[in-house]
Amino acid sequence: MRRRKLIGAIFAYAALLALLVLFLFPLLWILGLSFKTRMQVFASPPLFLWTPTIDNYVAVLKTGDFQHAFMNSLLISAEAVLLSISIGVPAAYTFARFHFAARGMLFMSLLVMRMLPPIAVLVPMYVLFAKIGLGHTRLSVVLAYTTFSLPLVVWIMRGFFEELPRELEESAWVDGAGRFAALRYVVLPLVRPGLVAATILTLLLAWNDFIFAAVLSTDATRTLPVLMASFSGDVGVDWGSMTASCVLVVLPVLLFSFAAQRHLVTGLSSGAVKG
Amino acid sequence: MGPSSKTAHYAVIGTAPSAHTASAAQHARIPAPAASRLSRALDRMFVWLTVTPTALTMLLVFGLPLAFSLYLSTEGWSPDESLFGGQFAGLANYDALLTDPTFIGSLTLTLGYTAVTVLAELLLGLGVALLLNLDLPFIALFRTALIVPMMMTPIVAALCWKLLLDPDHGIVDYFIGQPIIWLGQPWLALISIGFASVWQNSPFVCILALAGLRSLPHEPLEAAAIDGANALQRFWHVTLPLLRPYLLVALLLRAIFEFRAFDNVYVMTGGGPANATLLLSVYTYQASFVQFDLSLGAAASWVMLLIALVACLGFVALIGRGSTR
Repeated sequence: MRRRKLIGAIFAYAALLALLVLFLFPLLWILGLSFKTRMQVFASPPLFLWTPTIDNYVAVLKTGDFQHAFMNSLLISAEAVLLSISIGVPAAYTFARFHFAARGMLFMSLLVMRMLPPIAVLVPMYVLFAKIGLGHTRLSVVLAYTTFSLPLVVWIMRGFFEELPRELEESAWVDGAGRFAALRYVVLPLVRPGLVAATILTLLLAWNDFIFAAVLSTDATRTLPVLMASFSGDVGVDWGSMTASCVLVVLPVLLFSFAAQRHLVTGLSSGAVKG
Repeated sequence: MGPSSKTAHYAVIGTAPSAHTASAAQHARIPAPAASRLSRALDRMFVWLTVTPTALTMLLVFGLPLAFSLYLSTEGWSPDESLFGGQFAGLANYDALLTDPTFIGSLTLTLGYTAVTVLAELLLGLGVALLLNLDLPFIALFRTALIVPMMMTPIVAALCWKLLLDPDHGIVDYFIGQPIIWLGQPWLALISIGFASVWQNSPFVCILALAGLRSLPHEPLEAAAIDGANALQRFWHVTLPLLRPYLLVALLLRAIFEFRAFDNVYVMTGGGPANATLLLSVYTYQASFVQFDLSLGAAASWVMLLIALVACLGFVALIGRGSTR
């Protein structure tokens, strides 16, 4: 019995290792390329051991294009997260706690909007933003992101609010706290894991999006993914700085996600599974 | 154990709060009770004040463009005209679409691509989840490592795969030992973009399935084991049916997202070679922003939208059925 268990464990580890290679080796290879000189990148056969250089990172961080796109990405993501959390969370609370006319219908239409292909609103958004003078501005991209992160925030947070016993707010109300004060001081501190999850997921949406930023922004307001996509035309020129930029784009969200991994998994599964 | 078997407690605004004396308020240092008229007015309008910003944003920034797009799709409209200055064209744009062999090809391609990638993601995701559910030393490390692809910016992931699959200097062709032009031949290009997406998104299925596996009750499995069911039978007849709601959600969410796939195609192939990877999103994008026929693009996006809507209503119906049980 014990021996069978051991053999089972060995097979499991072998399978896990194979999966690790499948999922991580490509990324590690890219990471490796970013620490190579141009000669080393194109060496044949490929180099598996070499003296790493950080020249590519220095070069990328020095370029104005990258700095500019990084700032745009940072500002747009932060603003989109702030906007969708601050208006979505109170709405989610009300959806979870109070009956009102058309509640079911409103909630369903939010869900449906989350499911629709974004390209469907892209064309008219582009036209309408241009007509009202918001064309090519950061604000237009932030607003576009808010429309797809709001349903997500409401969906995730409603689940967290519903799990709280409602006696908590009720006793706060008895003690004379208004609805807003009870939400702010009693309820919100208890759903912090939900807030973390919702924040990360909306941040990921905004940071990782390409298509909206590509259409709604211009050279001055373009985000990192748009800058990255512009590299895809001339693959074969400068793999070193290209891979270094790849790493720099992915690193912030990766670190952020690891730091809050537990909440993220809760949020993903609760947001997705609880109807 | 349906995922939403818990019952929500709802209140009607204005009902007298139940007489709970255990005071959460005292613990939480709430500002002094503000029994002012203003605060009562705010309370009365609470629902309205909290829901309106969300509803209004969605209506103005999402609903309005959607309606405008429906209008555009029935017009012959170009960007230099005023908003409502187009020529009414009825269903001419839709007619043009549905008789365009490129569009029909793109439509069938998208449906096939969605079906195959989602199936692959489900199988791979479930398989990995079963492995990660084992109680082995260092398993948490594997769990963390395997979700990295999911967090990556899709554009960046696609760019990485473009480099890895490069026929001259790519590492994939080095391991294979001969230069294969992955992105230059119709079938290989399609397989490559599908693979990149499966690679990136099966971790999502894995996370959902793992959450499901960890919440499963132990009793049915133990009972089956006592009744002499082997591991395969236990998986097929006990675990899989219990996981059904989780897998269903994964299936439908992934289907919705693969149906709108754009980033990987845009970076890796741009829809080519010879339209072999021209998914609907790419078709719509090209119609709107390359040929600058916004009306045709709007019509194409409405066809996509209707298909997604049908899938989505199916999703809502299935989830709804799951939660009533």
